[in-house]
Amino acid sequence: MFKEFAKGLSITLKHLLPGNSTTVAYPKQKLEMSPRFRGLHRLVPTQHREKCVACYLCPTVCPAKCITVVSAENDKGEKYPEVYTIDMLRCIFCGYCVEACPVEAIEMTSAYELANFKREDFDFTKERLLRS
Amino acid sequence: MTPEVLTLSETPWLFTAAMLIKVIVAFVVTLLIVAYATYAERKIIGRMQTRLGPTMTGPMGLLQPIADGLKLFFKEDIIPSQAHWFAFIIAPIMILAPAFLSIVVIPFGADFQFTYDGTLYAVPLQITDLNIGVLFILAMAGLGVYGIVLAGLASNSKYSLLGGIRSTAQMISYELAAGLSIVAIFMLSETLSMRGIVAAQQGPLWGLESLSFLPNWFIFSQPLAFLLFIVGSMAEINRTPFDLPEAETELVSGFCTEYSAMKYALFFMAEYANMITVSAIAATLFFGGWAGPFYGWINFLLKVFAFMFFFIWIRATFPRLRYDQLMFLGWKVMLPAALVNIVITGIAILLW
Amino acid sequence: MAVNNTETMTINMGPQHPSTHGVLQLILELDGEIVVKATPHIGFLHRGIEKLSEHRTYHQTIPLTDRLDYLAPMSNNLGYVLAVEKLLGMTDEIPERVQRIRVIMAELTRLKSHLVWLACHALDIGAMTVFLYCFRERENITDIYEKVSGARMTSNYFRVGGLSADLPDGLEQEIRTFAESMPAHIEEYEGLLTGNRIWQKRTIGVGKISAEAAIDIGITGPALRASGVDWDLRRDNPYSGYEDYDFEVPVREGCDTFDRYKVRLDEMRQASRIILQALDKLKPGPILADCPKIVLPNKQDVVNNIESLIHHFKIVTEGFKPEPGEIYQSVEAPKGELGFYLISDGSSHPFRMKIRPPSFVNLQGLPQMVEGRLLADVIAVIGTLDIVLGEIDR
Ligand code: SF4
Ligand code: SF4
Repeated sequence: MFKEFAKGLSITLKHLLPGNSTTVAYPKQKLEMSPRFRGLHRLVPTQHREKCVACYLCPTVCPAKCITVVSAENDKGEKYPEVYTIDMLRCIFCGYCVEACPVEAIEMTSAYELANFKREDFDFTKERLLRS
Repeated sequence: MTPEVLTLSETPWLFTAAMLIKVIVAFVVTLLIVAYATYAERKIIGRMQTRLGPTMTGPMGLLQPIADGLKLFFKEDIIPSQAHWFAFIIAPIMILAPAFLSIVVIPFGADFQFTYDGTLYAVPLQITDLNIGVLFILAMAGLGVYGIVLAGLASNSKYSLLGGIRSTAQMISYELAAGLSIVAIFMLSETLSMRGIVAAQQGPLWGLESLSFLPNWFIFSQPLAFLLFIVGSMAEINRTPFDLPEAETELVSGFCTEYSAMKYALFFMAEYANMITVSAIAATLFFGGWAGPFYGWINFLLKVFAFMFFFIWIRATFPRLRYDQLMFLGWKVMLPAALVNIVITGIAILLW
Repeated sequence: MAVNNTETMTINMGPQHPSTHGVLQLILELDGEIVVKATPHIGFLHRGIEKLSEHRTYHQTIPLTDRLDYLAPMSNNLGYVLAVEKLLGMTDEIPERVQRIRVIMAELTRLKSHLVWLACHALDIGAMTVFLYCFRERENITDIYEKVSGARMTSNYFRVGGLSADLPDGLEQEIRTFAESMPAHIEEYEGLLTGNRIWQKRTIGVGKISAEAAIDIGITGPALRASGVDWDLRRDNPYSGYEDYDFEVPVREGCDTFDRYKVRLDEMRQASRIILQALDKLKPGPILADCPKIVLPNKQDVVNNIESLIHHFKIVTEGFKPEPGEIYQSVEAPKGELGFYLISDGSSHPFRMKIRPPSFVNLQGLPQMVEGRLLADVIAVIGTLDIVLGEIDR
């Protein structure tokens, strides 16, 4: 009986020695996210506009139905999204929108600190998504 | 020249001054240890669990206990509407006061001598040397139970009630075993005064010159009593593995479920104050009190810290017992063992 | 006249309680500390996943399954994906590499789930250090999850017909190192618990359930195997190529909490064995079945090839339409038999999806296991049943 008690105590004592800590001092020190990490979305820009052609594939595939796209045509006759909004409160970060996009116009970044104060702050509009 | 002991009738001013200083020093030091015991516990357990413990408040988180205290001090103090308010308020005080009071009879150093007006005076480094010191400690430990029971009953919450009931049963049964284990000590020392007990532990082991490398500490003559005392007092102060009254995962927070703010902090302080008291008693009764290689009170503090480390270490390692197993251990294992120990000690004393 | 004044006390444990593992509510009738009656109340985490799936395509339902047993997302993914593949009749077309990777991930998931179980179980009984040691290892698995799928918990990695992506470079070695290190860690947990008298006292003989009672209720998984019933779907009804691996199914006869603990620990050892074997057998190959009407084509083809582009649009907008019919597919999830019952009416949405969650069925054993025992045993039994409310309430 005492042998087992001593064994348990020795295990905890061994961990007391320096060098066993696995803590990451979070706000000061951040973990590197993997390249595949599914964080905040980003609309990919080209030279003068967003790459998105407003094909409606991502709002269709989105299981949370949180993407709003309204398409329009610019003077060159190209389709572009007049409105492109993702409601981050509904998004489940499944990554289907990225998978569905035929022109790779949307991707996911490694930003995960998305806390905010107001509901409206979670409506990520096209401008915000292009910037992120 | 033999020093004169300060008394109230002979040297009233000196006595009062010395007394005040002793009380203030002992109280402040105990409070400081209480505050930093929480810090030490969080750091040590954190390290044992591959964490860091507090790091953010002050250098290495050293100000954490103060920040915690401040936070709790400024929090809203809630008294549940259905609670019995008087008992609810008095309970945390009733548990903290006895915890601090026990420190009174513990000697923390050899006599301090000084000359005043050409006379050599000696001040015992002990707040007061009651001739029934051990009994006083047991009485204070007994009083502490009332605080918990009251807290449990007054909160008018079922979890608190269960916690209160658990602690009553637990404390009563373990006080018995712990108390009886001490009986063997004063059979050897032939005094109930803590000072006397420390004095009885001076010199080489069992008075034998051949064993002079070992001190005559009672741990060597009474290992069983020591074991019983440590286990019993761990149970009495509700430390893991005997923390049933506040078993987080079973009773939410046991008897202090409904408490908040400073009242909750008082319970918390009482737990650590009790830990200090128990460590101090164990050091005095079994490890020769302030005797040792260094200056008196340093030895004493070192011993106390060693015990506290041990308690923390146990907490990091062991699971919790169950209520019936706790009772079983208390009544059917420890109590008989303590009684047997007394009988054996008695026979040994007779034969020696 | 003697008046019998004893009364029972009803105490409401949960849904907010530190050790009901989420939002389980237990109404306990106590006589002192002895439980006279225990009634579990569930439904606090109900999100209607079964109903939601009726309005999602088969493809869109996969992320919902992540959220069933959120401690073992890949097992749920696997169960669902296998069910849909069976419904489509394409079970035989799954490439070998896919099957191997699925097994590796499923076994990692088993480790992940069991680690959380051990952590919480030990914490409930008061051994808090084990909790953090387990989470240290679990963190490694979460990292692996993140590297393969991009999410640390809601993996959404498996797809109907394959995987969403291949293993990234260097990950095989990482998984291997981890699986090799696992037995030593298990020794460490055992060193803190198995021999400890207090742990033994708290677990041996607690929460007994006989083999007959367990079968009657429908208990599966480690809880069933600890009652002496040798039943493991991975061996007895193999899927995803489990028949290729050499592993033991730990079975014990004690029917109590301690034996369930031992069975799960042994399962963790076996899981690392399976992972290592699967890694040895892993060969390069395609990660999607060759079914252009079901699996999404790769992005390069979509841009360059009009046929792929059409498939891509069709699959994304409409999904695929299985023949009308119904199937049942179950997998040995960490907590027991996880089954998916799918009915197709020929449209791209499931007509009905019924999930058989192991936790839900296992929870039924709880009243029987705790009644007549002490309050502290309730906590031990909740821990040993290893329930996850996300799965119970769905
Ligand atoms: S990640 Fe998923 S839920 Fe979020 S916007 Fe994209 S498709 Fe919708
Ligand atoms: S799928 Fe791509 S191109 Fe189409 S609307 Fe979405 S982001 Fe734009």
